[in-house]
Amino acid sequence: MMVGGMLVSRLAPLLACLGLLGIWQVGALTLNTESFPTALEALRAVPAILGDKESLINILASLRRMAIAFSVALVVAIPLGLMMGRNRFVASFFNPLLMITYPVPKAALMPIIMLWLGVGDIAKMLVIFLGVSLPVIYHSFQGAKAVEEKMLWSGAAMGLSAAQRMVWIVLPAALPEILTGCRTGIVLALITMVTSEMIARQSGAGNILFNSLDMGQYDIVYAMIIIIGALGIGLDAAFERLRRRLVRWSEPGFEIPLSFA
Amino acid sequence: MIEIEDVSQVFRTSGRQDHLALSGISLAIEDGAFVSILGPSGCGKSTLLYIVGGFVSPTAGLAKVKGKAVTGPGPDRGPVFQEFALFPWKSVLGNVMYGPRQQGVKPAEAEAQSRALIEMVGLKGFEHFYPKELSGGMKQRVALARTLAYHPAVLLMDEPFGALDAHTRTRLQNDLLNIWERDRKTVLFVTHSVDEAVFLSDKVVVMTRSPGRIKMVIDIDLPRPRRRSDLLLDPRYQKYVVDIERMIDDTSEEVLRP
Repeated sequence: MMVGGMLVSRLAPLLACLGLLGIWQVGALTLNTESFPTALEALRAVPAILGDKESLINILASLRRMAIAFSVALVVAIPLGLMMGRNRFVASFFNPLLMITYPVPKAALMPIIMLWLGVGDIAKMLVIFLGVSLPVIYHSFQGAKAVEEKMLWSGAAMGLSAAQRMVWIVLPAALPEILTGCRTGIVLALITMVTSEMIARQSGAGNILFNSLDMGQYDIVYAMIIIIGALGIGLDAAFERLRRRLVRWSEPGFEIPLSFA
Repeated sequence: MIEIEDVSQVFRTSGRQDHLALSGISLAIEDGAFVSILGPSGCGKSTLLYIVGGFVSPTAGLAKVKGKAVTGPGPDRGPVFQEFALFPWKSVLGNVMYGPRQQGVKPAEAEAQSRALIEMVGLKGFEHFYPKELSGGMKQRVALARTLAYHPAVLLMDEPFGALDAHTRTRLQNDLLNIWERDRKTVLFVTHSVDEAVFLSDKVVVMTRSPGRIKMVIDIDLPRPRRRSDLLLDPRYQKYVVDIERMIDDTSEEVLRP
């Protein structure tokens, strides 16, 4: 019974995917329009895209931009968020800025950014950077703010300087919250990556998608959506595994507390 | 020797008028003494402890430890908080080793010392557990070991057993006394339990509520080593407890200046 239950919960995501593909297949067959290929047709186009050197270069270029922009965003956003959380002056300076920029869709800034920086890598990476930094700053800020004062005092009594406390106490203590922000950041990185390539078409996964849309290659369009979606799911799952490893000490119920004085 | 000289603390509150938490506190504590600060909640007794620890700077007056004015926290004064304040990302051993490693003790040596301390507080076998896997009493044992590990001359204990159940509390009081009997560190112990203060201390400082002032300093003249079962039957112990309880109940304004 237990084994069966485990098996079902393990297979559930797979079954959901298959179900979705099934509905798609039936829907496409029923509608039978050229702009809506069946699931099988779209899936058949996936290896064709991944086998094509040109497409592969495009997709890898996208991933490269995303990786660079994401890394730079973390390097900037985590320290900034932590400092905001521990220093009232830093917070009162940056908070209003963030409140204004937070709700603005970053892709909406793309035309202006293109005007300044052209349509190359820099413009696209800047948009991804903006998309990723805000949630990471916000979560780092919240995480740092919630660090128990007494924990910092304990560190100070051991002789840790203010800078050392920031790195050795605030950072690890806020890590679970920071990583929650990073997880949101990864998904946003993918979204802003595709939208930036949609607006500034030159190379990338988004470029393949929208070019094939223009050319009426609908199986390619849907195959690209599957590839980008799989990429998102894969990145998110990989990150979640990493996150769990890093903050296992904070996961609730990872073992029952012992009762012993 | 800890000297507290005419310390006052004003907390600025938004909107309403400032709150005078401590007013003109002067107190001298000899080396190796176990002194409790006793008072109702909100009397500023913890604030006084934080001032000695250097975590809070007083609005007026100053605290001196071994003749030097306190300007900030330092490893000569080790705090133990009611909230434990353990590092949750570190194991029991990691927490206890933190101080010695920070002080530049070699890893192997720090580990050996820490393991000995963990055994002393009764947690042998739990070295690799994480704080969230431990009960409150065990956490406080770790916190005590973590502080003892960097050899502070003064222990600053801020209602350390306040969050524990009665049974655990009693066991920890006994163990604390046993540990203290061995190396006789100076202990400044904040509590609102009269029982606890009398049982543990050489001296009990009774404070009044808001503004916090010292109402009286009582020497507890009871033999050591103390055993709880003996003390509870001792009329002298009972008298101390009753006298101090009456004093605290007596909230009339006839404040006895020390």
